[in-house]
Amino acid sequence: MSVVSQPATRNPQLRLTGNGDQCQTLVVVFLRGGADGLNLVAPLADDGYYRARPRIAISKTAGIPLDGFYGLNPLLKALEPAYQDGALAIIHAAGSEDDTRSHFEAQDLMEHGGITGGGWLGRFLRAKNQTGSGPLAAVALGKSIPECLRGSPAATVLQSLDDFSLGSNGSGLTQSLARLYGSQTDALANAGRDTLDAIRRVEQLRSTSYHAAHGANYGRDDFSCGLLQIARLIKARVGLQAASVDLGGWDSHFSQSLIMDPLITQLAQGLSAFYQDLGPAMNQTTVVVMTEFGRRVEENSAFGTDHGRGSVMFVMGGGIKGGRVLGKWPGLSREVLEGPGDLPVTTNYRNVLAPILQRHGAGEQLSQVFPEFTLAPMPLYG
Amino acid sequence: MNLSRRKFLQVGGSSAVLLTTVGCDQLPRELRALYQPPNQSDPFQPPPAEDLDPVSHVLNRAAFGPRPGDHARVCKLGATPEQAATAYLEQQLNPEKLDDDEAEYAVRRFETLALPLGELFEYQEDLLQNELMRGALTRAVWSERQLYEVMVQFWSDHFNIDPSKGDCKWLKVVDDREVIRRHALGQFPDLLRASALSPAMLWYLDGRVNHRENLAAKPNENYARELLELHTLGLHGGYTQKDVMEVARCLTGWTVRAKDQPPYFQIGKVEFKLSQHDCGSKEVLGQMIPGVPTDLSHGQREHLGQQELDRVLEIVTSHPATARHLSTKLCQRFIADEPPASAVEAVTRAFTQTKGDIRATLRALFATKEFRQQRGNKFKRPFNYIASALRTTGARTDAGLEIIDYLQRMGHAPFNYPTPDGYPEPAAPWLGTLLWRWNFALAVSENKIKGTKIDFVTLRNDSGGDAGLMAHLLGRKPTAEETQAYHSSGAGLALMLSAPAFQRC
Repeated sequence: MSVVSQPATRNPQLRLTGNGDQCQTLVVVFLRGGADGLNLVAPLADDGYYRARPRIAISKTAGIPLDGFYGLNPLLKALEPAYQDGALAIIHAAGSEDDTRSHFEAQDLMEHGGITGGGWLGRFLRAKNQTGSGPLAAVALGKSIPECLRGSPAATVLQSLDDFSLGSNGSGLTQSLARLYGSQTDALANAGRDTLDAIRRVEQLRSTSYHAAHGANYGRDDFSCGLLQIARLIKARVGLQAASVDLGGWDSHFSQSLIMDPLITQLAQGLSAFYQDLGPAMNQTTVVVMTEFGRRVEENSAFGTDHGRGSVMFVMGGGIKGGRVLGKWPGLSREVLEGPGDLPVTTNYRNVLAPILQRHGAGEQLSQVFPEFTLAPMPLYG
Repeated sequence: MNLSRRKFLQVGGSSAVLLTTVGCDQLPRELRALYQPPNQSDPFQPPPAEDLDPVSHVLNRAAFGPRPGDHARVCKLGATPEQAATAYLEQQLNPEKLDDDEAEYAVRRFETLALPLGELFEYQEDLLQNELMRGALTRAVWSERQLYEVMVQFWSDHFNIDPSKGDCKWLKVVDDREVIRRHALGQFPDLLRASALSPAMLWYLDGRVNHRENLAAKPNENYARELLELHTLGLHGGYTQKDVMEVARCLTGWTVRAKDQPPYFQIGKVEFKLSQHDCGSKEVLGQMIPGVPTDLSHGQREHLGQQELDRVLEIVTSHPATARHLSTKLCQRFIADEPPASAVEAVTRAFTQTKGDIRATLRALFATKEFRQQRGNKFKRPFNYIASALRTTGARTDAGLEIIDYLQRMGHAPFNYPTPDGYPEPAAPWLGTLLWRWNFALAVSENKIKGTKIDFVTLRNDSGGDAGLMAHLLGRKPTAEETQAYHSSGAGLALMLSAPAFQRC
């Protein structure tokens, strides 16, 4: 398309005004450090669990019953409503094919989606937005772009909404820009007007204090704050397609409960507040929670667990058939455990992401997002 | 600092004394950049026309934008702007004749760019990636060999490799130097062969695991497919799935030693393994390639097996679809997003007649009336935007990570594209990057980016005041609307760098 000579062809994703932005947003939460899936969602009905973890297991009475077999860690109680609403699905014994049990290797492989160039989320956004995306299509909460967003058409790292401002000199500049971009009618001029519009929306957001809706109660920690910023951007309809936020520190080699309990509390509070806050907007939103690997089934002498394989994934959002724990439970008997005694991976994480990306518009490009992998998508949507 | 430590020790000790007795231009070249007074005033004549003239056009399109005074300097190369533009392009087509010491000194600080392959593995991948990115931006901003750098960028996209895959983290440095930069204005067949046997490419497109030790083994088709689809014939270039498979068979056995594969002194070495080569006969694009006979010596068989790669490259480079595909891409880069058929025709002819001589092909492209006429109709990609902003403002810059960060945010940092097709050239995918262009324009014009400095007062004085400055930045006289916006914005330089006209080239 020639910038100057041809009339604009409008991309609906670029349209940022009114309710025309029916943009679906995918929120990726990465639990860095290898989160113990067995301590997040415990197989209460598997005696092997109690044999392997005599001191740190969640007791049958303390676990929040889900389906007669699994139970939620009691600190995840805040997620129970979403699960009962059918908006939260859990996939157990999920993970990647990487068996190095190295944080770096496993995170890298999972975020890249295989030994391939760029991150899976970046490739997805490239494939989806071949005709262009808006200025705020992808946002990473934190200090740097995570590997999963590598290669994305445009990815913004932000710690606060101030990062979007044009600075103290911005107002004279935006007025002059509005004049220059407003007097033309080509695709570039349209993009300029859309961008000015996005700036205005973010300015409005910044100038008003935010009140979470429906009594949602975010925490003060970075994870909750990140989700709150994402909720604001979603509600402001600025064209957000993907957001990523990390919750790190899950490497619970010793005193597991001291390390994990505060994180589990943050995870539950952040996700449940986000769920409540978005309300109906959750229909256009999917949150996926993943980690690079789970932990050894057997507890170690220091009341902790070492690096393992399979863990758990959470998927929350519009359209999913939740209220279920999906994935094949392999059992915990000696013969099925992998390597030094780890929960085998029965669901590859790509098969959880695949149906989500399909819902978010990957279309026929899905195979490009996960090359060299034969997908068997998990039936998240029924 | 633009010079190596050793050079500094050699000449630095006495320089303080030297300075008091001799002028700057008598200093050793290495020291001039250091001691040149930064605010040296050098008035120049900005572009005088109402519209982009041929000189402004070539500085925009075949270079990364004009530096202060470039327009006037180029104008002196010919009696008319048209002739001057032609003379400039001809100079640019012979980069080896252009003194480029300043850029060379500037990139010397990125020491890994010059390291031999084996030593690269001693370095952390983040450092290598940073020096690659900063080196590319430094050269785009500083080099006199502008068209050469534009073509380096073009081929980096055409033969894209994302360093984040496997050993490419280390090997891309060598690919950039020995494949892309070595052949950027050379012969296309040489460039293609260098790329086919580049350790990084063997990693990136899985050539290293393309083997067939027995009939049950299935060759890896990844490189073969991209060779036909992206590097040569193009998507609808008339090859079939069968051709892809046959090309993959011809290339079986070529591999590269991995980082974790002993002996370690041979990391990155490219080898041909006859035992992993498919020795049967093949047919590529209708041409027979006889099998490797079993009754020859090992050495003879190895030679024949290796030759299949050259045979394949010969077949694909001489295929008419390859000339057309490359000419279309060049015309898209240099003329218009929708390249005019007549220009593509002329460029295809030149490519075919010269068997892929890149200079001759470009010369033919620059001679088309479409190239001459279609001015200001292209949209600068973010890298080109940033490079041109730094050049036109005469910024002193270390191409630091703060600037690279703006490129990351716009999705156009060099060596960061995940898939083999390279960053897209047309405008549409980049239209969402305006916010970060404007942010950059404000930050750079207010000298808020570490390591980058613009001397606005000198720039405005040298170009003869506000009107001259605008003409210099836009490559033509500003419109009444632009002049008014410049004055009312309260941030004139940022506004000009943010204006629609400055996004185009």
